[in-house]
Formats: sequence, C-alpha cells, structure tokens
Amino acid sequence: MNRFRYANATSTESARELVGANGVYLAGGNDLLGLLKESIAEPGILVNLRSVPGLDQIEPGDAKWGLGAGVTVAQIEDHPGLRQAFPGLHEAAAEIASRQIRNVATLGGNLAQHSRCWYYRHRDIYCLKKGGDTCHARDGENKFHSIFSGNPCISPMVSSLAVILTALDATVVVQREGETVTLTMTDLYQRAWDNPTLHHSLDRSDIILRVEIPTRWSRSTYLQVAEKAAFDWATVSCAAAVRVADGRIQEARVVLGSVAPVPYQVAAANRLLQGQTWSDALGGSVAERLLRDATPFAHNGHKVPIARALMQRALRHVS
Amino acid sequence: MPTWPEKRSVLGRRVRRADGPLKVTGAAKYTSDVQPAGCLYGMILRSKWPAARVTEIDLSEAARSPGIKAAILVRDGERRVRYYGEELAAVAGTTKQACLDALRKIAVRAQRLPFVVKETDGIKPDAPRVWEEAPNLSKPQVTERGQVEQAFAEADVVVEGTYSTQIEIHHCLESHGNAAVWNGDELTVWSSTQGVFSVREGLAGNLGVDQSKVRVISEFMGGGFGSKFGPGVEGAIVARLAKEANAPVKLMLSRFEESLAVGNRPSSIQKVRLGATRAGKLVAYELDSYGTAGVGSGAATEGGGGGAEFPAPYIYAIPNTRVQHRGVALNAGAARAFRAPGHPQASFGIESILDELAVKLGLDPVELRLLNDPSEIRQREYRLGRDRFGWREKYRSPGSSPGPVKVGVGCAGATWGGGGGGTRAQAQINPDGSVEIRCGTQDLGTGTRTVMAMVAAEVFGLPPEAIRARLGDTAYPPSGGSGGSTTAASVSPAVYDACEKALTELKQRTGLEDVRGENWKPACRKLGLEPLVVSGQWQKGLSSSGVGGVQFAEVEVDIETGLVRVRKITCVQDCGLIVSRLTCESQVNGGIIMGIGYALYEDRVMDAGTGVVLNPNLETYKLPGIADIPEIDVVLVDMPERGVIGIGEPVTIPTASAIANAVANALGVRISSLPITPDKVLAALGQVKEVTA
Repeated sequence: MNRFRYANATSTESARELVGANGVYLAGGNDLLGLLKESIAEPGILVNLRSVPGLDQIEPGDAKWGLGAGVTVAQIEDHPGLRQAFPGLHEAAAEIASRQIRNVATLGGNLAQHSRCWYYRHRDIYCLKKGGDTCHARDGENKFHSIFSGNPCISPMVSSLAVILTALDATVVVQREGETVTLTMTDLYQRAWDNPTLHHSLDRSDIILRVEIPTRWSRSTYLQVAEKAAFDWATVSCAAAVRVADGRIQEARVVLGSVAPVPYQVAAANRLLQGQTWSDALGGSVAERLLRDATPFAHNGHKVPIARALMQRALRHVS
Repeated sequence: MPTWPEKRSVLGRRVRRADGPLKVTGAAKYTSDVQPAGCLYGMILRSKWPAARVTEIDLSEAARSPGIKAAILVRDGERRVRYYGEELAAVAGTTKQACLDALRKIAVRAQRLPFVVKETDGIKPDAPRVWEEAPNLSKPQVTERGQVEQAFAEADVVVEGTYSTQIEIHHCLESHGNAAVWNGDELTVWSSTQGVFSVREGLAGNLGVDQSKVRVISEFMGGGFGSKFGPGVEGAIVARLAKEANAPVKLMLSRFEESLAVGNRPSSIQKVRLGATRAGKLVAYELDSYGTAGVGSGAATEGGGGGAEFPAPYIYAIPNTRVQHRGVALNAGAARAFRAPGHPQASFGIESILDELAVKLGLDPVELRLLNDPSEIRQREYRLGRDRFGWREKYRSPGSSPGPVKVGVGCAGATWGGGGGGTRAQAQINPDGSVEIRCGTQDLGTGTRTVMAMVAAEVFGLPPEAIRARLGDTAYPPSGGSGGSTTAASVSPAVYDACEKALTELKQRTGLEDVRGENWKPACRKLGLEPLVVSGQWQKGLSSSGVGGVQFAEVEVDIETGLVRVRKITCVQDCGLIVSRLTCESQVNGGIIMGIGYALYEDRVMDAGTGVVLNPNLETYKLPGIADIPEIDVVLVDMPERGVIGIGEPVTIPTASAIANAVANALGVRISSLPITPDKVLAALGQVKEVTA
C-alpha cells in the first residue's frame, strides 16, 4: 500500500475536482482496499463518495425504480418492495460475499469493481490487464476465466448485480465531464469487451449516480454456481427476466456472468423466446444459441455445461 | 502403576471451556495482541523469484527510511533462493507503513534461474534442478513383503487406479509470529507456537545464547496444525531485529506470507494395484507414489521439511505388498507436519481402491472392510456406525439414485497413536483454598486449560472453575510440543500425579483425613502462610496410544452443475478415557470440517509460468464456511480403562476418503483427485469437451 491523501466529497462536482488525475473514488471500499493492499492501485488521493448526500435513495415508481449508487447491497437484499418487483435482484444481492460485506458494499461499487483474475490481483504479476503484454491465464490456470472474450485478456466480469440488471434492461445514470449521461448496462461494460486493460466503460472521473430499472418484467430470477455454498465468487451466474402476456413470453432476457469481460447475452438467443411458451426443447435451442461462440480454455470447459444448466433452470423458473 | 479413579465426578463431563469468556470477549491476549511498550513492527522482504542467484542486497536506503530502527539481511553474502517467498531481509519500524515503505527501498540484485513448480513437470529428467547437487526426483524407497507378483497372478480380481491429493496449506486463524523483548542479554518472546520449549531451544541455538536466558510465552494461540513447532526464520529474524533496534519488535506474518513459506501438506500421486480373492480377502497390493514437499523434497534435502511418503497399505493387513515412494523437489515452500502427517493421503489411496474392489465384486463396502480390517476397535465401530448412520437403508448400487441430484454414501477408517509422556506439572494450593496448576505445555485452542482444570477438580473434589490452570510459559515445568495428539495424554497424567501428591501432602500437613470438597477451605486455612507447592510428572498407566476411528459420509451431487454437498458425516471414534467431553467433541467437529476442506475445497495453486502461488488468500484458497458444514454426528467410544489418548489427528483422516467414496457411489464414476470440484465432476461425467490447445 502506498501513502495517499483522503478527502470527503460534499457533492459529485466536488468529488470530480478532488479526484483529479491520479485519484480514485471510495464507496464501500471492499474492492479498493484489496487493490491498495496489493499495490495494484496506487492512487494519490481517495475521494469518499459516501459523504455526498442523496446517493442512497431507493425510489419506487410505476414505470421504473431508481436506486442510488450509494445504496448498499444489504439494503437491496432487505427491501421488501424491491424483492416483490424484482425477485432476481434480491436473489443476486443475497448471494454476494458475506453479510458483513453486503452491509458496506454499494450498488455503484459492485458495478464498477475490478476483475478478480488471480493473475491481475497478484502483487508481483504484471499482466495484460495491468498494461503488460501477456495474459498469463490463457496458457495458465484459467479455471475461473472467460469462455467468451473480444480481446486477449480472459478475465471475466464478476458483478452479480450487473448480470441481473442487464437482464432487467436497467440503465445507469452517470456524471461524466460535468454532464449527466444515461448508459445501458451493455454500454457500461462494452469497452471492456475489446480493451484488455478495462473493467468497464467508465472513465476515471465518471461517477455512477443511480440505476433505473424498468418495471415491465413479469418475473425475474438469478442463479449461480459457486464452489462454496456462501461467500464465494460464482463460477457461472445466470439471470433471466421475462414479460409474459396471454400465456406467452412477449420479451425475454437471459444473461450470463463470470464467462466474459461483460455481462454476456446474445440478442438472437433472447429473440428465440419471443412469442413462445416454455419447453425444455426451447430452452435447449436458446442454450445452443447463447453458448454457440464459447471458446473454453484448458481448465474452464466446465463453464459450458454449468451455463447450460443454469440457463435452463432460470428460464424454466420464470416462464 | 497409578490409575484413574473408578468413580469420576468431573472427568468425562460436559464442562464449559475454562477460557471461553476470555476468548469471546476479546480479553484473551494472543501473540498478535501483545504490545510491549515501545514495540516496533517487523516485516520481511521476500524473494519475488521462484529461483535466483542473489548477488547483492542493499539495505542502506531502507535503513535511512523514516521510522526505521533496524534493517537486517537474513543471510550474508551471495545466495540462492529456491522459491517465491523465501526470506531475504527484514526491517523494524515504528509503523507498518514505515516498514512497507522501507521494504520497497531495498535494492536486490539477482540473476533469475529456471524453475519448476508442478509435480508432473518436476519429475521430467530435463526439468530445472531445484537443488544443484541432485535430480528433483529422489531415489525410490522400496519396501516389499511376501511374493507380490505371484499373489497378483493368483488373485481372482485385480483393480488398479491412480489417486492424487493436493497441497493443503495450514492457514491457522492466527498467523505465525512472535514479539521479542531483550532485557540485557535475556530474551523474552511471545510466540504463536505449539511448543514453547521447542521455540526456546530453536531460538537459543540460533542466537547462540543459553536456553536459561530465553523465556517463551504463548498464553493463547490461534491454531498450529503442525506448522508451529520451531521459531521459524521469522522467529529468528524478530529476535535479531529487536537486538539491532534495541527495542521490542513484533512480527506477525500476513495471510499472503502464510501461503508461501510456513508449511503445507505434501501432495501425492499414487498408482495403486490391489488383488483379492472372489470373496474379497485382500491378497496383494502395490503402490508407486510420488509427491512433493516443495524445496523440502528430493534427494538433496538440505534441512528440508521431510518427504512425501505415507504409510501403505495403511490400516489393512495384506500379506504381499510392494510399496515405492519418491519425493520430487519443486521451487515451492517446504512442507511441515500437518495434522496426521501422511495419513489422509494414505487413507485416500487405499480407501478409494477398496471401494473400486467392492464395486467389482458386488460387495457392500462396509462388509469388505469388516473382512479385511484387522483392528477389533474399528470392527466394533463399523458395526455401531453402520446402524447409527442407517447404512443399510442408504447404500444403493453406484449411480442408481434417481433425478439430476444423485445421492451417495461412503465410509473409511483411520488409525493414530496419540500417547503421552515427558511432562511435568506443579500444583500450588494456597491457604485461602485457591488452586493453581502450572505446566509448560500450550493450548492450541483445543482446550488444554480446561483439561488441566478438570483433572485437578476431580482430585480435589472442587468445581473446575475453582482451578486456575496456567500454561504456555517456559517458566513453568517442562512439557513437550503439542503435536501427534499427545497433549491431553501427556498433561492429564502429570497434573493428576501432582494433584494426588499435593492431596497427600495436604492431609499430612493438616493432619486431616478428609480434605476434599466441603472440607477443602478449612483444611487449606491450616496451611498458615505457606502455600503448598508440589510437583508431579507423567506416569505410565494413565494414558495409552493407538486409536481407531471410522466415518460415514452422505453426499448429494448435482450432475448438471457438478456441485457436491455433504449432507451428513457420522464419526465413531475411540479415544480412551474422555477427560473433557465438550472439547473432545469440538476436536472431532474441527477435524471433520478440515477433512471436508481437503475433500472439496482446499488446493494451493502454483502457476507454472510465473512460479508464484496464485491463491495466497482465503478468497481463492477456499476453506469450508458455515454453509458448507453438514450435520455431524459424533459417537465417542469411551474406553476409560485405557487411560487418556489424544484425539486431534485421527478424526481428520478418513473424512475426505469417505466423502470421495460417497461421491463415487452417487455418480457411478470416481473422481480420483482431491479436491472434488465441479470441473472434475463434470469432466468425469463426460460433460466437458477436451480442449486442444
């Protein structure tokens, strides 16, 4: 850990000024503390966002809900209205880490967290993600790595909330260069698909303000397989959301986590569900399409059957 | 020969842990809590290379760094380093940050050398040598009995398999570490250790001072599991730093360092062949095994931490056997003793192939063990456990349970020594009736204080909470290291002897016939101003060794995701005379949980490309959590006539074997390498496509 300064921001504008060229934002700190301790992040200043008023609101609505970036994962887990409106969001929140961590972890921090790749997280390994020229995982220990990637780095995106929020077609309101911009969940991660050094599409000074979730979904769910029953990262996670009317699926999203540098979905696979009623055979076709381009490495081939199983279970549950 | 009382009012009861309140309130001071006045922090610079020739280490800038009071080299002159994490230099400073800053200022000049960190690479003839003098793969140790080839030729059935076990790291809750304070030429060290006397001996030897000038204290410690007998490199370093800085220094290792340099359980890759008659009687056994103890392995073990061999064919009596063991040296931290060294590996190989044989012969696995296990104790335990667990109702032919979540059961047995010896204790009876028991043993967290208090309470007719048990200090009468499950069997007889003698002396000095119970305080008052201090020692007849245990496991396996969940473990364990029933059961629970970790989660992952440990933390080195722990049913087969026998180690041995057998029973295919993770399950089920690189 290096020496750094610390400042409490009083507004998002002041936060942006404080963070400057070599600062980082601090919210729950779960991800950042690990990066600091391993000297992977060496910021000149930590700018605390928890001191900014108004970022911790949960606002119900008829067309959409708004969740402030500073809302904790535990608040999402515990909120009865959210649980009723978006069961999958509750399920995803409840699977994250441990209760102690969920008590301080924030929505914004969960979405903006860095890769958990054990090469990236190692203090003495310089890898592609850190600006080096090699992804050690490709020919190394890649059991927990991606089966889809648009770039040579194969470290996956592991945010559970990103997976369900992508399925729910949420949007993310971001303060960028003094403007307020709205990104889709796909936008939020798209740059990490191509660029090995990125974890998401946010710039250093961008601040997530809130997440907005449309209420049009009839049902949603989140499932994961992790080696341990609790407090473990998902090997594969899967979220599904459907809008059902007249006994048929009108619209569906199925999204995978921990398999790609982004929450992974395939529009064509989603479309296969449109206008259909559920059957295991339909699920099989969707799985085929969703996993068609998977390119497993020496140690992560198991992610394909796990993804298939989770996807079938998730869709069966919501359809 | 002395014997334990026929009628026991305290021993064997459920008594609350003597130090429970201190521990749950945080009042108990562990080494990591010790903070002598003016104490500095110590920190170690470790090799970033898995193999290198270090030509120069420049400490000058670090020594001038703000807050730094001492900077030392671990070894002078040019040297080789043989694993990532090997100790190079150390600093002591006023804050942890000062130390961190200083470590970055140490300039190390080194020439990288080729390295090898995987067993399968290390055995290749052209692999880089870990020790220059000899190849990595040691000469085989072969033991042969009977006519092996003939027996295999005559056997009705022969089964073969290769079984492998991983490197397991101790990961004690409290890391390795010490606090050192010099007073002139006398040294006091607080140490997180399993042996205050062995740490004293190690430090005195290392520093070249008399043992009489070194005092080691370990009042409370957070687990050792075999990795904390000596002072270690970090212990010698902290004493040197304290001398150099002329101030107290505390140096506790980080979780990262725990993963690299303070021991592990050696791996094993076991090729096994087993021959039997049609009825299931074992007639021939062959083992060809190799494993690594890191830099401690290989033919050129220069003070290394022991080999990778294990007892084979373990608990079974087979007339014709050939056993071959080899160690392969790797550029990785050395192994150390680890809870029942060798036994879990031994158990996994033999118990796995036994179940393969049972399947081939169509025999019930319990029946096959009853047919071949020579231990009368385990025969009893298998019968008892079978009923208790409901084995007959639960056992089905492999892979035959319906649905995507398959259920299976398995069993396995174990043996251990656990005897006692070499311990003295002192009983002090004060005129106010209060009692102090002193013994230079240590409490690993297993309940030694409680055991001491209960033995004394039994003798004096007092409640256990009336006894003050003092331990963990070389100022007390000597005892051995707490290893090999010997502590309870060493300490209990010594305390008993001291208390019996004290009781006799109290009667003599007071002239009273009955001083126990209600008469205690009035009798003690007659001592006047002089407390009674009486020494005792371990006596034959109050302890013995040699225990048997069996375990049954019930698991469920999701064949679509590969996830294994343990539903239940039933453990039937012999342990002689039970001193403290609660702490005894607690030991069993702990051993089983550790066995579950070995079976399903724990695995040190080395990276062939960079030579580092890739999972040097408890995020990716996975230990079972509360949600992973099944129902654990503990049956203690009380045999008081045998005296006290330790229980810490035997109970962790058969758990992984029983779980692996249960998984094989559930699936109808065997996962023959530990830990049994979803990727291996799905691969065994043919669900994972081979990837050609």
